[in-house]
Amino acid sequence: MAATEIREVVLADATTSLAEYEASGGYAQLARARTLTPNEITDELLASELRGRGGAFFATGRKWSFVPTKDMIPKPHYLVINADESEPGSFKDNEIMSRVPHRFIEGCLITAHAVDSQHVYIYVRGEYTGPYEIVTAALDEIRDRPDIRGDVTIVVHRGAGAYICGEETALIESLEGKRGQPRSKPPFPAISGVYASPTVVNNVETMATVAPVLAMGAAEYAKLGVEHSRGTRVVSISGHVANGGNYEIEPGISLRDLIYAEHLGGGVPGGHTLKAVIPGGSSTVILKADEIDVGYDFDSLAALRTAMGSAGVICLDERVCMVQLGIRVSEFYEHESCGKCTPCREGTRWMTAILRKLEAGDATAGELDLLLDVCDRINGKCLCPLGETAAMAVASYVAKFRDEYVAHIAQGGCPFGDSSPLDHVLAPVAQGHLPGRLPEGKRLEVVHG
Amino acid sequence: MSLYQAIQEERAKYPAESNSAVLPALRLAQERYGWLTPDALREVADALELTPAYCKSVASFYDMFHLAPVGEHLVEVCTNVSCALYGAQQVLEAFESELGCRAGETSADGAVTLRTIECLGGCGWGTIVSVDHHYRTRVQPEDAAAIVEELRGGN
Amino acid sequence: MADQLVTVQIDERSIQVPKGTGMVETAAAAGIEIPVFCYEPRLGPPVGACRMCLVEVEGMPKLQAGCTLTAQDGMVVKTARTSEQAAEGQNSTLEFILINHPLDCPVCDKGGECPLQDLTFRYGPGNTRMSFPKRTMEKPIPISPLIALDRERCILCYRCTRFSESVAEDGQLVAINRGASSVIATFEDEPYKGHFSGNVTEICPVGALTSTQYRFEARPWEIQNVPTVCGHCPVGCNITATTREGKIKRVLSRNHPEVDEGWICDKGRYAFNHLVALDRITTPLRKAGPRRFEAVSWDEAIDEAERLLRGGGATTVTALSGGESVEEAYALAKIMRQGLGAHNAVLPETPSELGGSPLSAIRDAKTVVVLSDVPVVERAPIVDLWIKAARRAGATVSYEVPTGPIGALVTDETSKAAGIDAEHVYVLPFTPNGRGVADAWSAAGDEDPVDAMQRVLIISGDEAATDPGVRALAVEAETVIGIGMFEESFRGIADLVLPGTSYLERDGTTVNLEGRLQRQRRAVLAPVPDVLAWLSKLGERFDVQLSPHASVLFDEVSERCFGGVTYAELGEHAPLPLRSAETPAYPAVRADMPRNQGSALRLVAYKPLFSGAAVERTPELEFQQPGAVVELAPEDARARGIRNGATVTVSSNGTSVELQARVARDLSAGAVRIPRDHAGDLHPTVEVSP
Repeated sequence: MAATEIREVVLADATTSLAEYEASGGYAQLARARTLTPNEITDELLASELRGRGGAFFATGRKWSFVPTKDMIPKPHYLVINADESEPGSFKDNEIMSRVPHRFIEGCLITAHAVDSQHVYIYVRGEYTGPYEIVTAALDEIRDRPDIRGDVTIVVHRGAGAYICGEETALIESLEGKRGQPRSKPPFPAISGVYASPTVVNNVETMATVAPVLAMGAAEYAKLGVEHSRGTRVVSISGHVANGGNYEIEPGISLRDLIYAEHLGGGVPGGHTLKAVIPGGSSTVILKADEIDVGYDFDSLAALRTAMGSAGVICLDERVCMVQLGIRVSEFYEHESCGKCTPCREGTRWMTAILRKLEAGDATAGELDLLLDVCDRINGKCLCPLGETAAMAVASYVAKFRDEYVAHIAQGGCPFGDSSPLDHVLAPVAQGHLPGRLPEGKRLEVVHG
Repeated sequence: MSLYQAIQEERAKYPAESNSAVLPALRLAQERYGWLTPDALREVADALELTPAYCKSVASFYDMFHLAPVGEHLVEVCTNVSCALYGAQQVLEAFESELGCRAGETSADGAVTLRTIECLGGCGWGTIVSVDHHYRTRVQPEDAAAIVEELRGGN
Repeated sequence: MADQLVTVQIDERSIQVPKGTGMVETAAAAGIEIPVFCYEPRLGPPVGACRMCLVEVEGMPKLQAGCTLTAQDGMVVKTARTSEQAAEGQNSTLEFILINHPLDCPVCDKGGECPLQDLTFRYGPGNTRMSFPKRTMEKPIPISPLIALDRERCILCYRCTRFSESVAEDGQLVAINRGASSVIATFEDEPYKGHFSGNVTEICPVGALTSTQYRFEARPWEIQNVPTVCGHCPVGCNITATTREGKIKRVLSRNHPEVDEGWICDKGRYAFNHLVALDRITTPLRKAGPRRFEAVSWDEAIDEAERLLRGGGATTVTALSGGESVEEAYALAKIMRQGLGAHNAVLPETPSELGGSPLSAIRDAKTVVVLSDVPVVERAPIVDLWIKAARRAGATVSYEVPTGPIGALVTDETSKAAGIDAEHVYVLPFTPNGRGVADAWSAAGDEDPVDAMQRVLIISGDEAATDPGVRALAVEAETVIGIGMFEESFRGIADLVLPGTSYLERDGTTVNLEGRLQRQRRAVLAPVPDVLAWLSKLGERFDVQLSPHASVLFDEVSERCFGGVTYAELGEHAPLPLRSAETPAYPAVRADMPRNQGSALRLVAYKPLFSGAAVERTPELEFQQPGAVVELAPEDARARGIRNGATVTVSSNGTSVELQARVARDLSAGAVRIPRDHAGDLHPTVEVSP
């Protein structure tokens, strides 16, 4: 297990001021990077073993290396920053953009150089007014600094409220002014992304890590963390813990420490006991309280068939009804399903319906099996991960808390009564409802020939 | 500056043949008219040389665009898992009783539209309530009255 | 290496296909079905939305969408036939689709010819496990007077919206909302107005988008489908006319990959009800007063026609509409030229000798030049789709002559093509068969007309009878004989009217703008005798031997004009070329385009596609008539500070109209376009002001 101390790599020397950032060595790595060739920077990133912090955990240097040269595809290259942080449980990018905007921007500019791009779009989720204003102000500060800006144009593009736009191809569609529905891959963005041009899509935290990697040197950075999970991660902790917040740690720290250490989660408050933990945002498989003696890193969590995902740790105490959790999570994915592929669009809606029936005590044992079968039928058949993770997450609640699900059937209702904090929580309603209403008097007139 | 001109400025940020300015243009139109009326959508479409149907198709995909009238102020309570664990439902109900309307509705005086919203990305600081698109953190049910008072007073 | 062959194993079969071939096509080549809903290659790249086509691919852990896979060497694919996993995947997709589908097949127009029905039988679950109320919605919703939308039946495959967005490019039929709340809609319940809207009813794989004309009219087992060719415009789209009990019930596309790629316009699809219009002429008519006719018997009519024609003799003039079949025009020409020695004809247009390339070559061109004041879509609608397809495929579409090689040139006037070196040239004629009619006229004789007072005029076809030029001639003539379908076209000008027929009621051939000779087949019997039958009788009076059979007449024409090609060789999908390839004689110097003086703009008042006798008799097409819009080139709009969508005043010396401005990128600077009916009394030169 790695150390439990808070690290200061990404979130070090927090400041929104250009002068302060420069005073602490800011933008020095950019200047140095511009003396290097793109390949040299990419090699440095490969050596650092930095992996994407958005959730898919793909090696950053490798992603960059997929971009063809302009000789091969004579089109502009685009760097798109995924700042559409929307995974329930994750709020780290919010804090990174708010506290170290210049480190984030420096990373963007170094990356632009590494992938030979003059065009950067920062796709920031529409609800993030605060981070948007801070990043925009930071960009204003470098407007008169050609030494920093170079020949790169950075445009902040605001989303408008759609979780699916965190998926990179949906984000690209949205950036192109369309409905944010994922594209079928291939072609991959590196070959044909935004405007059918080679595109690199990177997460905010990944970008904010680039300059520190260069500053420390790849070898030093790669000493942090554990095998396959190098460096630091900013972990979001929320739910039934004393100190909800973001903590930059080294992967490999035990999940128990993350939750219980005084300087981290601070334990479960109010004399309650931990019941379960969602380790990497609501898309990940749940862990029971007796499964938290596990390293918070890629390999250790994979062994438990779950993942760090976007590093959103949600703690749930003994009061939480697992059927209600299933409903709330299923409703979320149903609401956020883009509607393009059939299994996700129809399946998540069906999951919610069965879960509600279970919670109401009206379901049969057969319907619990049906729920699992529906999850199984969604899984592995969708166009993008949204529906699949919804199915896996809910199926994990049933698998790990089956007794509780069965109790709902046996008792003909929820054993928690109304004591669970998730009882009857009102979910957002779908946009537009049904526009099928006709103006008065307008009816189909059949024309007979 | 006219809406048309403002939209052209947004267009200039993207390649000439792209429709990337649709989202910024819809946002500008909504800021101007409060919600995306059919005429607002027509105006956006004309300014971008697109069809109103296309603009509505895009707008209706995103939760932040209003295709029906809303109040002068918008109160959005996150009821996703983490906030719900902190008691978001109680916060929501406090707003409902304070405003005299249900979630998804607008108060009788037209001042405030109340609605629930999916995860706002402030999970450790819940309950998050977005008031006119600015986050209030760690909101408790007893804070609802002051927030409503602030909005009504600001009229 | 585009044509490199690769070997793919599908189920137990091995197949060789060019590398990159789509897996659906690869499987089909091996005789194996990969079922699909959303996949439709004509709509652009596959989207992988419906998940009906899931297959197992060796070496890939998850099922793959067959529609987005391409053939790679050594690939091993298993479909539902041999893979339990794939079978389960397809069964899952159908179960998910059906949980909210109403299964109202017994009252659904699609029933019996429905892909969802068929695939459910083959791959779907036999029963439902869904115990919740299905989603219900108001239905059917008229998205236009032509099309009904049933949102409950919709499976959200997005074929229709993709058609609207990336084939017709009209941006009118869209998806609204997100996820399970998504529905297909137009803007604010406004009608889906566009030249090609009806195609969405044909590509819909369920009964969600249906034709209002066909609603509850027929079942697949009680209809006959007749393969024929549309007679509304010079494209000559291949169509299927569905008939039941001797009536046309609907018109569907019949994909000719070189001509129409399976798309047809709404005029071709919906304007067939003029066949049963109440004012259809069903007996011969003789003038009985200034604006009145009386019915006469066929014997009397033939006698009267003979008498009138003998009066005109060699001075008789024949005005043709260009809507006749080659055979009709030939039969008439033979009587006039060989029986009467009357060689004077008003042909609908001067046929162009240019052409000879398939329309599909437009899509494959790298540079497409369009030199047409009239919107291409209004004169030859499908040509517009080919131009759009070219642009989407990356071609440069230019409205001025560029430097460098030109792949395809589309123009509304032969003279504009002069001196331009283009690989493929397309001249848009005014009429559906103007070329064929001109060929037929020349096949019947080659003498020059006599120079004498023209006393008798024959007007063939309603379109000719309503043409201002022909009407002017009619005023001059002493006697006018008309052949047509509607009394109104001939009232006040004709002394005798003989009933005509429509292209759906006859056998014959027609020559489209490519020069492609195509067969039209009789789909229904006309309520009147066939034109060839009574022309044959009339011919006898002048000792002209005319078969009443189109095939015999065709052989006569073919011998002279079409190199002796036979009916059988034309087949159901006529090939190109069938005419002897002649080198067209281009004028050496390109005619100068009209130039504008000062700031004035040249007015193009065009005849819209949705006009004419057939459209006027199809009330459900009324909404398709163009709005009060003036189209301006972007630079002209900019120069005048006119924004897209703004209301502007179009004025010329002493007269003006208010219209809505549209910035049109397919218009060259200096010209403005207004539909004829909205041009008022404007002069050829106008000014547009905000």
